[in-house]
Amino acid sequence: MRPVRPAADASMLPTVTYGPRSLMWWATLGFSTIEGWTTALLVASYLYLRQNYASWPPLRTPNPSLLVPTINIVLMALSIVPAELASRAGKRLDKRGVQFWLLVTSAVCVAILVLRWWELWALRTRWDTNAYGSAAWTIVGFHASLLLFDVIDTIGLTIFFWFRRLPLKSYSDVSDNTFYWYFTIGVWLPIYLIVYVGPHLF
Amino acid sequence: MTAPLPIDQTFDTATVARVTAELDATWRERPGFWGWLTSVDHKAIGRRYIVTAFLMFIAGGLEAAIMRTQLAVPENHLLGPDRYNQLFTTHGTTMMFLFAVPMMTAMGIYFVPLMIGARNVAFPRLNAFGYWTYLVGVVFLYVSLFANTGPDTGWFAYVPLSGPAFSPGHRVDVWAQLVTFTEISALCVAVNIIVTTFKLRAPGMSLNRMPIFVWAQLVVAFMVVFAMPAVAAGSTLMLATDRAVNMHWFNPAEGGDALLWQHIFWFFGHPEVYIIFLPAMGMVTPIIETFCRRRVIGYTALVMANVATAFFAFGLWVHHMFATPIPELGQSLFTAASMVIAVPTGVQIFCWIATIWTGRARLTVPMLFILGFFFTFVNGGITGVMLASVAFDKQVHDTFFVVAHLHYVLIGGGLMPLFGAFYYWFPKVSGRLLSERLGKWHFWLFLIGVNVTFFPMHALGLDGMPRRVYTYLAPTGWGTLNFLATLGAYTIALGVLVFIVNALRSWRAGELAGDNPWDSSGLEWATSSPAPPYNFAFPIIIDSVHPLWETNVEHPVVTGLRTDRREILVTTTTDAVPESRHAAPDPSIWPLYLAGCMALLFIGSIFSPYFVLIAIGLSVFGLLGWGLQSTKKIEPELVQLPTGAMVEGA
Repeated sequence: MRPVRPAADASMLPTVTYGPRSLMWWATLGFSTIEGWTTALLVASYLYLRQNYASWPPLRTPNPSLLVPTINIVLMALSIVPAELASRAGKRLDKRGVQFWLLVTSAVCVAILVLRWWELWALRTRWDTNAYGSAAWTIVGFHASLLLFDVIDTIGLTIFFWFRRLPLKSYSDVSDNTFYWYFTIGVWLPIYLIVYVGPHLF
Repeated sequence: MTAPLPIDQTFDTATVARVTAELDATWRERPGFWGWLTSVDHKAIGRRYIVTAFLMFIAGGLEAAIMRTQLAVPENHLLGPDRYNQLFTTHGTTMMFLFAVPMMTAMGIYFVPLMIGARNVAFPRLNAFGYWTYLVGVVFLYVSLFANTGPDTGWFAYVPLSGPAFSPGHRVDVWAQLVTFTEISALCVAVNIIVTTFKLRAPGMSLNRMPIFVWAQLVVAFMVVFAMPAVAAGSTLMLATDRAVNMHWFNPAEGGDALLWQHIFWFFGHPEVYIIFLPAMGMVTPIIETFCRRRVIGYTALVMANVATAFFAFGLWVHHMFATPIPELGQSLFTAASMVIAVPTGVQIFCWIATIWTGRARLTVPMLFILGFFFTFVNGGITGVMLASVAFDKQVHDTFFVVAHLHYVLIGGGLMPLFGAFYYWFPKVSGRLLSERLGKWHFWLFLIGVNVTFFPMHALGLDGMPRRVYTYLAPTGWGTLNFLATLGAYTIALGVLVFIVNALRSWRAGELAGDNPWDSSGLEWATSSPAPPYNFAFPIIIDSVHPLWETNVEHPVVTGLRTDRREILVTTTTDAVPESRHAAPDPSIWPLYLAGCMALLFIGSIFSPYFVLIAIGLSVFGLLGWGLQSTKKIEPELVQLPTGAMVEGA
């Protein structure tokens, strides 16, 4: 090994950063890309199978119900408010703000996850009825697994913020959690349009 | 905290020794078996990946040797058709999913942080989780095989053969879930490699100063992100659900589609070949540079060729499906794409030839393997261009010609550079050199063996011998060439045995290598061999692609990282300007715990959906444990808010 000569000092660099400066933001982006791409492939497969049918949904299969999915997507849109306020509180290192808005976000997330159960039945077909049912259930079910993961993450963070003294980097995690929530509901919008609204229109 | 160190004066030995001792204490792995289970050092994880993947190479190789023994003479009864089906499926599955991809990415896990001057990967616990998940897949496949439940429908598990109607029992379920384990593992590695190369490069290592090997690993990581979800979706969310809960993705009677499986599988399967091939290409450049004593010609062209290959690789999957009813326009498009991809590969080959031509080549063992790569791979590439033609492809479809082609490409393009890389980087890992004499034996036995095994298969294929048959009749006249191929397979096995002996002997008693035995230019050789747990005592500042050939006597370094916790330097994405300090995690048992939950989830789901619920419940504890571990230390931090303001506090 060669001798070393100090040429720069890193001691005044921050140890906690937000957004693209934080490693966790990049990890969130990476897994969002993977999950988003998986969803896209499932939706492409759904549309590929559609070619095998003269009508869509297939004969004797009713159109999906729009009531619960529409209520849920409105709830998802509303959930942006507490998620964004939690993220902003995190960016101010405002502990009380984070605690409160994470709690609200958690409650909304749980409500959305519970509604997802009825949303599956709103497809008004079963997974084992035909290929249409299999594709629709798989897509909505796969997205439910993303929701579930997000709910666990959000509730975990909420519990930590209420019951533990946390290092400052946890405030950056709050904004990454919000970022992942935006991805989860963002990826739902095309699913809602294609799987629930699409059969009514085309 | 460590006392500030003076700037711009060479450190004396005592200062370096003090910092090193502090780092040793902070970065030391826990001792004993518990330490082994909880390690998050990228070198430990990388070594495990490499050793496990090599064991899989031996397992896959033994399966091949048994199959070649079966085919050596006509009407042989060493194996029956059922066992033969399990063997060729397990051979293909092992070599593609459990050897080639994990091995190539493991080389990235081990060497990328060293080459970019980082102390660890960006997400060490995710890295450990990826390995344990992969290990679950390895154990699952081989336990199943020995329980006579080895998958038996080919490594691409075509439906309807692999569907519930034609493959009852659990053999295909084993395949489907095994694939899931390896995909999860590969995706964990990919995210790690991308973030590590984007954010943890040594100060000054702008993207245009990144080693070619790191570029190759970065490009491949992106390919993994877009290729692996296809097979994960196909195997876990479609094939496994068709089999377990009566879905109809691939059941034509209920509107499902068998061709959908082929599209999904090959959308992953063709890029997979390049996921194996591109890291190997990345290994070629540093070996040629080192042993020709000059910088590679066409750095930019090589990087662009890597990126172009990755793009094209996603546009040719249909050439695996020429024997299916694909529209003619589609066939022409995919034929053209399959030929075009030869162009960036050609660019790379010519860059290397020019480098060798204008350098002073030393024929060491790594260099011999690179020459072996040229010879073998170009042969495979040429038959690839032949197969891109639909008319020719239909003639030889499903024959031994295709077997010959794919082995020339994968052995030539993947294994030859990999063996070269083993000889080249063995001293970095072990501190000792492999024997050159045994290495030459290994090389020649391997090269001759590969050609004696696979060249006759071209003729067998043109003569109509189909793949995946457990025997053939004597009047076909295929006996002689098959016997020759079997002799070749034994020669390959002998060559690999010589390598194993060489590696075991050299690990214990090989010639001591010193820090930089080949006088190479890469940053990985700027630290001791093997590297300490923290890789570099100080982040080195670089200003060239070849820092060790261009810097004089001293390394300019960054000081100020804490030594009392595992702190790493984060730099900007394009120019690698120091941006922040990041506390890396301590050793952890949670990666292993969560991999266990994954095992329960996917293996259990074969038998009952309730296992999924149990596994999810258990995972919640794992995730909370993982999160709590990250939050248990309250220390003073320097926070940069999004507004740019700095706040200090705990």
